[in-house]
Amino acid sequence: MRVKKMLAAGMAMTMAATMALSGCSAGSKTSGTAESAESSSATGETTGKSEVKKPEKITIMVNGTVTTKANNRDAFEKKWEELTGIDLEIIQPDHDAYFDVLGQSFASGPENWPDVIILNGSYYTGYAEEGALWDMTEAWNNSELKASGRVKGEDVIEATKLNGKLYGFPNARRGGCLTYVKKKWLDNCGLEAPTTYDEYLNMLKAFTEGDPDGNGVNGDTYGVSAAGLVGAKGGDPSSNYLPEFYQDAQPNFALGEDGVWYDGFTKENFKGALERLRDAYSKGYIDKETLTNGTNDCRNKFYEDKFGAFTYWAGTWATNLKNNLEANGKDGELIPLKPIKEVGTYEEGTAPVWAITSACENPEGVFKYFIENMLDGGDMQMLWSYGVEDVHWSTKAETILGNTYAEGEFHTKESIEKPGTQYTKQHLDPTLAIVTWDNDPGKNNVKEEARVSQELFNENSHAAVIIPSTEAMATYNGDLTTLKNSIVADVVVQGLSIDEAYKRFESEGGAEWSKLIVDSLNEAGAAK
Amino acid sequence: MNVKKKGPAVNSAGENKRPLLVSLRYYKGFYLMFLPVLIFAIVFNYLPMFGIRYAFYSYKGIKEPVFVGLQHFEKMMKMSGFWNAFGNTITLSVVKLLLNTFTAVALSLMLNELRSVTFKKITQTIVYLPHFMSWVVTASVFTLILSPTSAGLVNSVLVKLGIVNEGIYFLADKEWWRGMFYTINVWKDTGWGTIIFIATLSGINPELYEAASMDGAGRFSRLRYITMPALYNTIITVLILNLAKVMNLFESVFVMQNDAVIQKSDVLHTYIYTQTFNSGALPDYGYTTAVGLTASLVGCLFVLVCNKASHKVRGRGIV
Amino acid sequence: MKKKATAFDYALVIIFVLISLVMIIPIYKVLIDSLDLKTAYGMKLFPEKFGLAGYVSVFTNPTLYKPFLVSCFTTIVGTFTGLTIATLGAYVLIQWKMPGRTLFANMLLFTMIFSGGMIPTYLVMKAIHITNTLWVVILMPAINVYNIVLMRNFFEGIPSSLFESAEIDGCSPMGVFIKIVLPLSKAALTAIGLMYAVSYWNDYTHYKLYITNDNLYNFQMKLRSVIMGSDLPQAIGGATENTVKNAAVIVAILPFMIIYPFCQKYFIQGVNIGAVKE
Repeated sequence: MRVKKMLAAGMAMTMAATMALSGCSAGSKTSGTAESAESSSATGETTGKSEVKKPEKITIMVNGTVTTKANNRDAFEKKWEELTGIDLEIIQPDHDAYFDVLGQSFASGPENWPDVIILNGSYYTGYAEEGALWDMTEAWNNSELKASGRVKGEDVIEATKLNGKLYGFPNARRGGCLTYVKKKWLDNCGLEAPTTYDEYLNMLKAFTEGDPDGNGVNGDTYGVSAAGLVGAKGGDPSSNYLPEFYQDAQPNFALGEDGVWYDGFTKENFKGALERLRDAYSKGYIDKETLTNGTNDCRNKFYEDKFGAFTYWAGTWATNLKNNLEANGKDGELIPLKPIKEVGTYEEGTAPVWAITSACENPEGVFKYFIENMLDGGDMQMLWSYGVEDVHWSTKAETILGNTYAEGEFHTKESIEKPGTQYTKQHLDPTLAIVTWDNDPGKNNVKEEARVSQELFNENSHAAVIIPSTEAMATYNGDLTTLKNSIVADVVVQGLSIDEAYKRFESEGGAEWSKLIVDSLNEAGAAK
Repeated sequence: MNVKKKGPAVNSAGENKRPLLVSLRYYKGFYLMFLPVLIFAIVFNYLPMFGIRYAFYSYKGIKEPVFVGLQHFEKMMKMSGFWNAFGNTITLSVVKLLLNTFTAVALSLMLNELRSVTFKKITQTIVYLPHFMSWVVTASVFTLILSPTSAGLVNSVLVKLGIVNEGIYFLADKEWWRGMFYTINVWKDTGWGTIIFIATLSGINPELYEAASMDGAGRFSRLRYITMPALYNTIITVLILNLAKVMNLFESVFVMQNDAVIQKSDVLHTYIYTQTFNSGALPDYGYTTAVGLTASLVGCLFVLVCNKASHKVRGRGIV
Repeated sequence: MKKKATAFDYALVIIFVLISLVMIIPIYKVLIDSLDLKTAYGMKLFPEKFGLAGYVSVFTNPTLYKPFLVSCFTTIVGTFTGLTIATLGAYVLIQWKMPGRTLFANMLLFTMIFSGGMIPTYLVMKAIHITNTLWVVILMPAINVYNIVLMRNFFEGIPSSLFESAEIDGCSPMGVFIKIVLPLSKAALTAIGLMYAVSYWNDYTHYKLYITNDNLYNFQMKLRSVIMGSDLPQAIGGATENTVKNAAVIVAILPFMIIYPFCQKYFIQGVNIGAVKE
């Protein structure tokens, strides 16, 4: 009986609540703020050519790469406002949903567009193509930052331009993947770090058939593993986890040295790559589960000493891999490999950018006070790199997680969101920033292996060319990519012959789509 | 009991003698009660449906939508990927639905026959646990269990028993993938599916069983003449309702598919996903809406047909 | 019904032990990994290096208890809202002679099949000012036609003689609903309430798309970021990322492992009819 009453009471309550709901919307927090954002961003008026007017308020929409609420974003915001005297509004959707929420805001009309957004990959080219972004080429060329001579990453900015115009500002390099090899495994097999494909293959053979981990069993290990044969599912399309096999071939569109676009998949050298992959896979050098691996499966297998060569992010991850191996009781020493002769240089993906929307009332002001300011080499860069003093970093004498710091010694604090770990950076990774920063207090905190791998990568990499988006691309590339990936899997895993593979490419329409897209790219290129 | 049950249904057969006005007044209270449901349906379902018109527009979310007529549908018809996904959606979804319902019913009946209450409670709790694992986690655990290497539980047993020489790459094999997909679905949702059937079974009057026992009916005739008829209605309803959702298949496929089995596994919503995220350009919202609309129309057709069949067999539809 | 156990009963028990085993092995794997401080790829029977650090890091997370409260709040309020809508809808749908019933029924069914898509739905939610409030995550999933129809199915089982006699006694439709229909449908309310509760507890999409204010995030969002966040570099505390992930998965299942046994008593045979005879 009691239950009966409780149920009835609960029902009545919720019913009353649902009835009353239509009148409840006044309590919503956003309705007010959204409007204020509109009105206050309308401050610019007509800005004089020479003088840049300081905005009163800037609204930004960012993903999880900026300090999150859980990590005390409020302190960050307060400090930023203090440094500039500008009101800052941060909209930060869940990291996974960032582009969905951004798309929704754009679809709900320019009055709801933020002033500044973070974009990457096809979103950058797509939004630029649709005219949603402000052309900042001028602003950049006339900027104090460019004139200061501190910029060391002009190539990154050049690589971000679309048909010569800059629609987004990359404040840091993208970074990229290089191949790590377990040193102990090489020693156990009596090998040196490979410098050519033959040596590399030989190493994989030894790792697969011998006893590189020294557990007394031959053949319970293999050479290399990856998450997917072409690139991680849903991941960065330019991330290539098997560069030694692809070498100079690649499955996507690329710009030839003659300035003409082509589809790498249709080139003769791609057949060679397919043969190399098929061969190594059938011999067991490549993880049998490559197709179903997620990146974290690969990492776990690496930590478990299942395989010895792993292409993964340079920089912080070098430390991470080492720590995880050691936590598992394995030898953590890794050799970051120089690209083997046939690879030449590793590829660095296109960096994410900060873009100003075309709805922004005072884009010059936002560029100067928000974007340029980020790399000022002083307090602001400090804020974007390490966060707020005594919240995210400190110079006080204290002990954090067993590390004792003297008075005046710069160190980062324990993470609020992930207790038990120390912050490494907030938004801007100082080792990847495109400017030199002499006063970087954390310079000496960078772990040796992270620094070494990053430097090796920087010296041996080339920037990926940004592929503009065209109508044909939007129409056909989804189906084309699926077909290509399916063909690669057929050849490598099921042993389909190369001839039949390309016959399938032809018969299922791949060749036609590929040509349509290549033509559209070349047309767009010629039009500029 | 059966006769009583049919009571209200019989009345629906058109012998509505009361004049409309009287009838409206009589049901006044009911209309009022339906009002909240109606408001919810309008606000959360009907108002957003204005978006369906985008199927006839080119729209990337930034510039104003441009009317393109049937262009998206024409493109769709031309793409082999779409047709492949279309066929796969129906096969995977319908087989999965039939299997899941069948196993759930079988399990409920078996649970119903268990005598020890404690044992019953424990098993019930265990079988429904898998429902709470997200698909991402489920996929990663099963990828391991079905691994072709010695780490894979299934393959190491098969190899040890000498059934196969070398591990089978179940999840990347065109022959095996669908079977695995169905199995994992059954594993995950059978237990949860039993809840609705068990709730139905709990509504059966125990006196019926007692009377039947006294008449000397055995377990199986009780099952056949008492339990099954009581479940029948629920089974049909569950089946038809789920048919409406047949075209929505997404997450379970998405987490389990890979490049090798794409031809066997690509369904409409994973196709839309690829169109959206792998095209290297801003997706045309119009095209994906057109594909979605086509899926809905097919789903609608399914329900209409089955509802008709239900009318024929049981004298009324599911709603 | 007290009879001696037959061979059939024993066979049944054995079958169920096997079924339970199959069901539990994959979950067991997650459980073991959550208690193992060593990163493991393969299957193990016991943790190699036992430790609770994974759970500790899930629970000591200072930003976790608030999302937990949000989850509890939305699950409870949402389940009641959902049950209200489902029972009201179902009750009206069994009024076979009511003019417009078929229209209503088809109208509801239609929403199951057609939807406007992500962006239009967002625009409507924004227009009625419920984005970035908990209303959107409570109200939106409350209308679930699947549940309404199942509920209606249960209501149909209630003998019509009961309605008739109540009407003769002068009960209003609402009176019949509260005094007769609801008390007779405990098993249905429990089953469908459970379905609502689970969908509210596991909800992720609605938060992801309609809420950008982190103060309103629920537990599932938080766990998801623990699970998915593994691609971002992080230093090593007591537990490896793998341990924390698996612990998070177990934590997400826990509430329903605890609640379910309490729900079971409503599934025991005869609850419905027994109540009728009171």
